[in-house]
Amino acid sequence: MFTKGSLFYIGQRTVLIVFTVLAVSSIVFLGIHRLPGNAFFSERLRGSQEAVLLHHYHLDEPLLVQYKTFIGNLLHGDLGESLIFRGVKIAPLVAREATVSAEVGVTALIFTVGLGILFGVLAAMRQNTWVDYLLSTTSVIGYSMPNFVIATFLLLVFGIYLDNLTNGAIFYEIGWSGTYGTPGQIWLPAIALGFPYASIVARLTRASMLEVIRQDYVRTARAKGLSERVVVLRHALRNALIPVVTILGPLVIGIITGSVVIENIFGIPGLGKEFVTSILSRDYNIVIGVFTMYAALVGLANLGVDLLYTVLDPRIRY
Amino acid sequence: MAITAPAMTEELGQTLAREQVSLWADAWRRLRRNRLALAAFLYLVLLAVVALVAIVYTPYPMAHQGVAVPYSPPSASHLLGGDAQGRDILSRLMIGAQISLIVGVGTQLVVLAVGLPLGLLAGYYRGWFDTVLSFLINVFYGIPDLLVALILVVLIGRSSLWVIIFAIAVTRWMDMARLVRGQTLSLREREFVEAARSTGARPSKIIFKHILPNALGPVIVQATFGVPQAILFEAFLSFLGLGVPPPTPSWGSMASDGIAAMRISPHIVLAPAIALSLTLMAFNFLGDGLRDALDPRQKR
Amino acid sequence: MTEPVLQVKGLKTQFFTDDGVVQAVDDISFDLHAGETLGIVGESGCGKSVTALSILRLVQEPGRIVAGQILFRGDDLVTMPEEEVRHIRGKDIAMIFQDPLSSLNPVLRVGFQIAEAIEAHERIPGKVALGRAVQLLKQVRIPAAESRVRDYPHQFSGGMRQRAMIAMALANSPSILIADEPTTALDVTVQAQILELLRDLNEDLKTAIILITHNMGVVAGLCSRVIVMYAGRIVEHGPVERIFKNPQHPYTWSLLQSMPRLDSDRRKRLVSIEGLPPDLIAPPSGCRFNPRCQFKIGRCLHDDPPLMEVSPEQEAACWVTMDRALKKNGQAHA
Repeated sequence: MFTKGSLFYIGQRTVLIVFTVLAVSSIVFLGIHRLPGNAFFSERLRGSQEAVLLHHYHLDEPLLVQYKTFIGNLLHGDLGESLIFRGVKIAPLVAREATVSAEVGVTALIFTVGLGILFGVLAAMRQNTWVDYLLSTTSVIGYSMPNFVIATFLLLVFGIYLDNLTNGAIFYEIGWSGTYGTPGQIWLPAIALGFPYASIVARLTRASMLEVIRQDYVRTARAKGLSERVVVLRHALRNALIPVVTILGPLVIGIITGSVVIENIFGIPGLGKEFVTSILSRDYNIVIGVFTMYAALVGLANLGVDLLYTVLDPRIRY
Repeated sequence: MAITAPAMTEELGQTLAREQVSLWADAWRRLRRNRLALAAFLYLVLLAVVALVAIVYTPYPMAHQGVAVPYSPPSASHLLGGDAQGRDILSRLMIGAQISLIVGVGTQLVVLAVGLPLGLLAGYYRGWFDTVLSFLINVFYGIPDLLVALILVVLIGRSSLWVIIFAIAVTRWMDMARLVRGQTLSLREREFVEAARSTGARPSKIIFKHILPNALGPVIVQATFGVPQAILFEAFLSFLGLGVPPPTPSWGSMASDGIAAMRISPHIVLAPAIALSLTLMAFNFLGDGLRDALDPRQKR
Repeated sequence: MTEPVLQVKGLKTQFFTDDGVVQAVDDISFDLHAGETLGIVGESGCGKSVTALSILRLVQEPGRIVAGQILFRGDDLVTMPEEEVRHIRGKDIAMIFQDPLSSLNPVLRVGFQIAEAIEAHERIPGKVALGRAVQLLKQVRIPAAESRVRDYPHQFSGGMRQRAMIAMALANSPSILIADEPTTALDVTVQAQILELLRDLNEDLKTAIILITHNMGVVAGLCSRVIVMYAGRIVEHGPVERIFKNPQHPYTWSLLQSMPRLDSDRRKRLVSIEGLPPDLIAPPSGCRFNPRCQFKIGRCLHDDPPLMEVSPEQEAACWVTMDRALKKNGQAHA
């Protein structure tokens, strides 16, 4: 996998990601700075204080100069300072929040992909039985429901009904202690986040398996005397997963998007919560910072998916 | 059969037109047999009726606080109970249906208006236009749609139905454009297009009479799936407080209000949650049914 | 004559579809002796591939074997439990298919796929199996076998892929090799090489070969005996020379007539068999070939002829037979 060609490709893509992040960041920066002047501070300040603050944040300089400073800082990994919480540096804040979001996001991803593939294969191997029909119907329901609706239902069941039923033995409480969550806290948001996508993956895996299982090379594998399990897992599944990897990119983006809502419901101190909070409180510097981080994450996710292709399908080489 | 070239193309066009009519009739037959899709369609018709009725009548004015006991459960006078401010949930749900349908269908209309011509032109003429469009499509694909929409709402400064429709359409137009482009690209290589071109038909005629009708199937399916996507999107926006401004109720904002009171009055969140789920499911089942019905590979 | 290694008796395989029951294989019987090369010839849809798949119990839903016996060394493959059949597949009876590109798994290395065939039936370390795979590639005359063994199927040429499939099939020295249209997807020069390879393997390893094809020329190049199938039935069988020189069933005769020859009169039109292949859900009454037969008599329309001996070791299912038909028209055989 790590050939000279692929390293070169990774290098190319990384440069592309850096450019994209810069571009996206710039667009957001310039867009926000076009807003009417004193939108930047929500308090009513006395003249001299305002001038000091404006100077501190470079807001009294011409736009082009501000932009140059911004890009210069960005390339050094400095995302500036929060407008509302003076003195708080944005870069470390956003970086830490990104890891929190990643914690929940990766859990959701593993759940999504794992369960989705499992049920997809099951439905394909038991085509037209009750297992298959059950899956087909639940999967449509699954990706039709907004993730906050799923979260609501899960909370109702695990946070309220089961609590009443079992007198407190099974109980999920919304709350997040510390920066990172415990498994007991993560599982519910992760399921809510991933469930719609698990349904999509299951559907796609099923359709893909059904196609692959009719292929000539599967017939050859059986003719060789291989056990059905080997035929399904080694020959059929590997090929069936290729279309599934194709949607992994949009899927990760979907999880990133969905985390904005989920983090808000569960009070998870991640990137999504910060994004909404900063928008609502008009802390534009943080908005720019969060968006920049998101652009980087998306770029890396897409690169990861493209590399995953080469692992699965040796016909694809960069 | 007439011998002259234009006449032959005309005949060919008519034969294909007949085939198309029977293709639609075929599809309709298949759709009719799909119980789930039919049920979904009926539900959506019902929903539309409710939304229309809500223009002139709701049991109680949707913005009036105190018409119901706050947090009251469903009762005879308030079929779905009252929310935290004592407003009638059923009335608000009906208005919410309007919002969802307007946003859902509205965005798709905008997406069609933008994506269809762009896709047709790019797919037919190729060249630099296609390259530029493909590049744009790829750029837009890499950005999480919700985040862009949120930023747009912030930049525009305030929220309204139009702003929301615009924001969603901006982030989802490329699905349609890409589909139409792909269809056009493959259709333009088909024999009947070559036949038409060889008799000197004008490009506009070819595009509108030959390519567009044949691409219509997948376009309809895509649009049908696009509606629930847009509705979901709007629900997200209003859930986060960035949708239509209060007191206009959107199912999303009703849900976020309801979560806070989930312990004492789960019905406040359940009503919009179930409404949303059913509506999205209905559109998805309908879309599935349409896709299966229009799939030329089906045997019957 | 020694005991045949494979005996097919009254095999019936049917497909239960929404449109009706397709009688793909309708009462087929034949024997195969050790080291023999048998050809099965017929047009598309006549049931020859389904016969081959039935032997290895590879027929998938909605099809299944509904009657008959397939005796391999005395054991009936039709009633054998799936586990035991699996032991025979790829080990005692092996099969290669028509399109070697789609028949090889595109994401696995060729060497691995060959070694897999060995490891399915023998517990040996992976390295040893791979070593044997290299030997097998050499045996099928693939150059640079040591490096080729790590390649993927898309890196092989068409002919090489088919050789690789043959290597895979021979990995466990089977007594029977079934080749389903092995050369149809290849171009003519490569065809000849593959046939030569099969011939040599048959001579050296004494593997019995069942060659399925629609091409009479291929049969002539490789087989000692041939079975002609039509509409799921055997219409004629016998030694290859006898069949070629003196075909008795009108269908066989038409097949041979329709083979274009370099030395034929260029002014004459190409001969083809009129009519369409028969509907296997509702086959014609009487002799199944009668709608397309130019020599039919009244009896053919309502009496289905069984296989009858027309010369030593040659049987045909026809009331008329070509001998009589040609004599009637005042022609003699070529």
